[in-house]
Amino acid sequence: MASSADRSAQLAELLARIALRDQAAFARLYDLTSAHLYAAALRILQRPAWAEEVLQESFVNVWQRADTYAAAKSQPLTWLTSIVRNRALDWLRRPDPDTVDINDEEHPVVIADERPDPLEALLAGADARNVRGCLDTLEAQQQQSIAPAFYHGLTHSELARHLRQPLGTVKAWVRRGLEKLQRCLEAA
Amino acid sequence: MNYRHPQLRQRLAAEYVLGTLHGRARVRFARLAYADAEIRSAVREWEARLLPFAEELPPVKPPARVWQAIATRLFPEARASRGWLGGIAFWRGFALAASIAVIALGVMLLVPRYTAPGESYVALLADDQSHPALYVSAARSGRLLSVKAVAPIALPGDRAMELWALPQQGPPRSLGLVGARGTTVVTLQASADTTLAAVPAMAISIEPTGGSPTGLPTGPVVYKGTVVKVW
Repeated sequence: MASSADRSAQLAELLARIALRDQAAFARLYDLTSAHLYAAALRILQRPAWAEEVLQESFVNVWQRADTYAAAKSQPLTWLTSIVRNRALDWLRRPDPDTVDINDEEHPVVIADERPDPLEALLAGADARNVRGCLDTLEAQQQQSIAPAFYHGLTHSELARHLRQPLGTVKAWVRRGLEKLQRCLEAA
Repeated sequence: MNYRHPQLRQRLAAEYVLGTLHGRARVRFARLAYADAEIRSAVREWEARLLPFAEELPPVKPPARVWQAIATRLFPEARASRGWLGGIAFWRGFALAASIAVIALGVMLLVPRYTAPGESYVALLADDQSHPALYVSAARSGRLLSVKAVAPIALPGDRAMELWALPQQGPPRSLGLVGARGTTVVTLQASADTTLAAVPAMAISIEPTGGSPTGLPTGPVVYKGTVVKVW
């Protein structure tokens, strides 16, 4: 099985080829990453039709912007994930979204098992393990506020409703959680 | 609010990446990040910290129609065919390269006293619309690669054209900078046979004067073509 570093090198090479307008490389990149990126979009948007739209927009964007990847100095999958997540979050925060209610009975929030399957856990690599380890050091409240915010793109007020806590309290949990996460990761 | 305060910058970058920054604050922060390298690097650091979480999600295969929609939008000319090699663009490029090979052969056969190039590699690099721009040729055993601009190419003064070998395996390899008019002769590190045997295509990217600072193409790719062996 390819290690995380091998996979990163492979994706970086594909992005370099895509910058040269290599359509086969683009198709390969889609094969290798679309299931990860679709999962990230779906988790935030909840509705497959929206996630499909965001995934499509994101890959069109990747084709057009692949030449800026080198300057981004990020891991390739992180760069791709940031494009998809930012689009999904922007989509969710459209000025006039048609009713996004996470408690909507028709569109229940599907909080699937958060644990990755063993294969994916292996693929996830050292970075994810570090973050996971640091997340485990957070207090329960901090964890409970950061994980759903991250995975589901909840706003502070949505989080407050979800956790049944005052807005100010939830904001403080998120802020302290992020600060602690940063300290832990810098120490790692 | 003073965005230049390091602690505030960190906090906003974290909340931007986490997704809790929203509404006008999110838009404003994205705009600041676009203009400010320090904010951008704070965002990048938080992406490196948090986004591996997203990579842990169990993958979900998107429906086939997503790829079809992407391909239809980006490559309308290949729409008729699902396979990449079957795409019209590929065959158009191939036909172009093949016709150049025929012309090269014709020149060799019809002009006996022409200092016979003998066995050569040739490529015709064309733009997106298949308009030929540069003709590349190299004798098989030689180390000189000649690149001839079919017509003068308009290029900003602070930009250069860099020629890339696109090998079957591995990243693009720079072959050198080429002129926007007339013929440029590039000296290869090894014989054309060694350099080009496993190189099915070449491309030209636009780079800063002096060439790509990273060793990989950084600017837009303007011309591309298939490498043909003439022997």
